Amino acid sequence: MFEWDMILSQAANGLVLGFLYVLIATGLSIIFGMLGIVNFAHGSFFALGAYFALVLNRDFGWGAALLAPIATGLLGMVVEVVLIRRLYGKEPLLGLILTFALALLAEAILRLIFGGAPVPFSPPKMLSGVFVYGPILITKYRLVVLAVTVVALIAFWAFLEYTAFGRIIRAGSRDAEMVGLLGINLPIVLTGVFGIGCLLAGLAGMLAGPLWTVNPSMAAGAIMPAFVIVTIGGLGSYPGAIVAGLMVGLVTALTSINYADWSNAAMYILMAVILLLRPRGLFGEKWERFE
Amino acid sequence: MSDKPVIGSKRTVVGRRGLLVGASAMAAASRLGMPYIGNAAAADPVKIGMIWAKTGSIVDQSEYLAQGGMLALEQRKNTLLGRPAEIVWLDEPNPQGAQQNAERLVGEHKVVGMVGGALSSFALAISSVAKKAKIPYVAANAAAGAITGASCNKYTFRLQPPVDVHTNVLAPYCMGVGKKWYVLTAAYAFGQDIKKAFTDYNKANGGTIVGADETPVGTSDFSSIILKIRAAKPDVVIGGVAASDLTTFLKQWNELGMRGKIPFAEIAVGNTDLWGVGPEAADGLFTLTWYYKNPNNTAEDKVFIEDYTKKHNRPPADKAWMGWYGMKALLDSIENAKSTEPAKIVEALENWSVPRGPIKTAYRKFDHQMTSSLLVASIKPKITDKWDYFDVKAELPNTEADIEKAFGSQAQSACKMDGL
Repeated sequence: MFEWDMILSQAANGLVLGFLYVLIATGLSIIFGMLGIVNFAHGSFFALGAYFALVLNRDFGWGAALLAPIATGLLGMVVEVVLIRRLYGKEPLLGLILTFALALLAEAILRLIFGGAPVPFSPPKMLSGVFVYGPILITKYRLVVLAVTVVALIAFWAFLEYTAFGRIIRAGSRDAEMVGLLGINLPIVLTGVFGIGCLLAGLAGMLAGPLWTVNPSMAAGAIMPAFVIVTIGGLGSYPGAIVAGLMVGLVTALTSINYADWSNAAMYILMAVILLLRPRGLFGEKWERFE
Repeated sequence: MSDKPVIGSKRTVVGRRGLLVGASAMAAASRLGMPYIGNAAAADPVKIGMIWAKTGSIVDQSEYLAQGGMLALEQRKNTLLGRPAEIVWLDEPNPQGAQQNAERLVGEHKVVGMVGGALSSFALAISSVAKKAKIPYVAANAAAGAITGASCNKYTFRLQPPVDVHTNVLAPYCMGVGKKWYVLTAAYAFGQDIKKAFTDYNKANGGTIVGADETPVGTSDFSSIILKIRAAKPDVVIGGVAASDLTTFLKQWNELGMRGKIPFAEIAVGNTDLWGVGPEAADGLFTLTWYYKNPNNTAEDKVFIEDYTKKHNRPPADKAWMGWYGMKALLDSIENAKSTEPAKIVEALENWSVPRGPIKTAYRKFDHQMTSSLLVASIKPKITDKWDYFDVKAELPNTEADIEKAFGSQAQSACKMDGL
């Protein structure tokens, strides 16, 4: 009985971790799917989301901190206009180099402003405490994280499914050239897509900030799981990112029960197994652009 | 040519393989060192190598270690032996990177001595280069026993008391709280030493280890481990996770409602680790190597505190002092040796000694371990100053006899010191 209690509690906490990963990976996935850019700076937008929330919370309270994802998304749009769009039509390696440089720059700027040491950032006091439901033990803050991420993912799905902009994004991820030829102002769409991707990373950063260590190098803890999830789920696949993110969160948490030292490696083993069975990932399809 | 971006053309195709290869290449590239070349004030300066992490999980501490090292030279007006002197600071992204950069410092920059090694695994890697290249090296932060134990060498000196010494100071306090311990450590040399030392102590004193976990460096979610600890109901949790991992653990320990319910204890923590936790979540009983508010700080320490605070607009963390003290020992020894010859610097380091209250800090000749006191400190019940988190409870060992007892004798040492 004890073991089941433990497994259920671990699974509940693993889901929270998984949903945070899903938010990060979804942004990475749509940016890659639409822009063809492997955004190595995506983890930096996660870190910026945490720092924006920290500063807004410190100066104006938690209400203002909720603006952090929007600020991150807006900054992402500026980055796209100033830097990223110069990469379209260029060698893919240039995108890797530029976004990698961007990641280093973002970390250096954070270090310059806030110092290298971690900065304290706690959950709101009203969300302190533990919630016990039968065998499941989870904190109130984690429940809110779970709820917010689920709502955000449903909202994003509805946006993709039912809005004109969403349809353009979906069409553009398959054949961006054709979307452009139909007379749609592609540069604005691409700026919007990059901004949305960064907004999702910023939202994850805001939610993870009170749980993780907020320091300039916190991006590293987000970017590799995001790449693994995108690969497991299938490139550019929204449901793939969700399923893979939850799998990674659960596998990481459950591995900790008996093999904690393998908890970080577990997601890489999962990725290797999935790729052996399904080389395009769980929901990966044969896309002409990516073959 | 159109200004519109062209997406999906043949040139922008990035396949799954491309993504993986690219990501791997970038991940690998992120591990490469980024050199910092100091400004030479004049030709032919004396160069000192400094290897502290600029990236990775220990970077929070290494920034302070580096600031302390820089200040030690600045306090000498950037001169040594009447010549201009400069510090060349390279990164240590991982043990291999630390070793490669140590080789670069020796081969490319021709440094006369090195200070660095924020993690024990890095320090062991640098130590092997010091031995091979015959260049004096001060490991100012690493605590794994092997550095001045089985892996000791004539050119490596270590400032931080090893894990066993910290354990001997803190473990009796933990045993006073209760005999059922849960041991949570990092899965590398430092953590493994802590696990062994505390487990041995616990068993030798009739205690029980009710659970033990090793976690990878960079763990972002400890909730699974905390739930296991909660279920195991130990009297004390012995921690052995370092830097940002400790910060994350303590934040989540508080978030899951465990703060104040089960005492947490850890050795050799950095001030910055706790500063990042925040006043609401900070908790525990610790050993510290140094603390800026310790009333027993020496006059030299007080000058350091004043200079550091003036320069950085905040008091120095323990790591800043360790970076400063490790560098100071090396610079003092170069001056005392009146030479940059490695053998003479090594001899001067072996004879370097600074009085600190009732004891003196010095490197023992038979293993090159610095002997010094440690602070036992707990988190203040109410934190009102964002830098002042600790109440110092004791400074131990505090006699020369106790020093030898705590650090062990030559007969007990695993070090078989080689020659020059």
